[in-house]
Amino acid sequence: MGDSQYSFSLTTFSPSGKLVQIEHALTAVGSGQTSLGIKAANGVVIATEKKLPSILVDETSVQKIQTLTPNIGVVYSGMGPDSRVLVRKSRKQAEQYYRLYKEPIPVTQLVRETATVMQEFTQSGGVRPFGVSLLVAGFDDKGPQLYQVDPSGSYFSWKASAMGKNVSNAKTFLEKRYTDDMELDDAVHTAILTLKEGFEGQISSKNIEIGVIGSNKIFKVLTPSEIEDYLQEVE
Amino acid sequence: MGGFSFDLCKRNEMLVQKGLKQPSFLKTGTTIVGLIFRDGVILGADTRATEGPIVADKNCEKIHYMAPNIYCCGAGTAADTEAVTDMVSSQLKLHRYHTGRESKVVTALTHLKSHLFSYQGHVQAALVLGGVDMTGPHLHTIYPHGSTDTLPFATMGSGSLAAMSVFESKYREGMSRDEGIKLVAEAISSGIFNDLGSGSNVDICVITKGKREYLRNYLLPNPRMYISEKGYSFSKKTEVLFTKITPLREVVEVIEVGDAMEE
Repeated sequence: MGDSQYSFSLTTFSPSGKLVQIEHALTAVGSGQTSLGIKAANGVVIATEKKLPSILVDETSVQKIQTLTPNIGVVYSGMGPDSRVLVRKSRKQAEQYYRLYKEPIPVTQLVRETATVMQEFTQSGGVRPFGVSLLVAGFDDKGPQLYQVDPSGSYFSWKASAMGKNVSNAKTFLEKRYTDDMELDDAVHTAILTLKEGFEGQISSKNIEIGVIGSNKIFKVLTPSEIEDYLQEVE
Repeated sequence: MGGFSFDLCKRNEMLVQKGLKQPSFLKTGTTIVGLIFRDGVILGADTRATEGPIVADKNCEKIHYMAPNIYCCGAGTAADTEAVTDMVSSQLKLHRYHTGRESKVVTALTHLKSHLFSYQGHVQAALVLGGVDMTGPHLHTIYPHGSTDTLPFATMGSGSLAAMSVFESKYREGMSRDEGIKLVAEAISSGIFNDLGSGSNVDICVITKGKREYLRNYLLPNPRMYISEKGYSFSKKTEVLFTKITPLREVVEVIEVGDAMEE
């Protein structure tokens, strides 16, 4: 592959016009655990698999879905430690925005600032791109919103999206199931069914995580018992 | 970034020596108090902000939000108390996200005191910090240079002596909510009426485990009493009473003496 000569340095374009390191970062994301998001008419749901390396790991100590502001939450696919750094930076940026303008940061602004950080790491010396793609779910005065941010720093708004291992199957499933006038509860059921599609083993409230934001504009990570209720409705 | 830039201080000193009168800053003359009662903490403050001898704000808010379970009263330079409480409140919020836990009063205390100490007293904020966290109710005072005290009842500001005299004579441990509010209102009123730098209304904030009540303008002991019922009306025309015209330039009579100059 002629590209391989240009794959060692992040800041060098290959002859085919690609930055090969970013392609590799997307591959890292693609081999991460599946996560997805669905925008309903009155809210947004994001969900992910929570496959732990061993049954001895205390699953209550692991939380993949994080709150950035009271009305914005995020989930990732890819390298967990990288996502922690981004979450920390995003929270600080949201707080700085609030201090300057005394209004809660709009979802698009926070996504843009996070994407800017990720882009900076593709054009600086001595650093590597983040090995995560983020799904940001928020509800502000422009309504419910769902954004995906990639390691390159590009971001897209989605009605429904998936990332990680099972992305193509999940997206096909979502394309078939998605309707514009979906309610939040339907969206949660659809999210669970989508996760179930490519799930290895038995799905349960201990190996998936779901975060929702409804018209009350408060982002909430569901407790295992709440997930259990939804799972029963789906069976 | 780091730190305050002291570059203009020398230039300011030079200007003062040359005779320029430095503009004064808005101070909160102030009476602020706090006390611990049976179920938590009660904070109280007056609402007058002064600029020298002038009342700049008759109803300002001196009880600042730090966290859902922590509030802070501020005396001293108004801008300093606002900025420092805002900044520490931001930092506490980020800390809550990272730890997933409720903020502790000692955390707020340590942030405030280390900030004030690093500015060596130039940030003139004297604070009464109170709150209830998982370890119980706490009340602290913070001085502009960064020292702190932990007390069952505290007063700060120019009206602190008036308020402290009320506390020292009437404070008891384990008061009920109503007794505590009554005592705080009495202490602030004492500052309002006996100290020129304090005035207007009484604000109170009651913090208990899991709940806080911000009682803005709990007492209004200084209402505007006399307002003319008829209102004021001014006639559109100004009546001419008297006319006098003074020319600005004197009319001078020139008397020619002697011959015109002969070359």
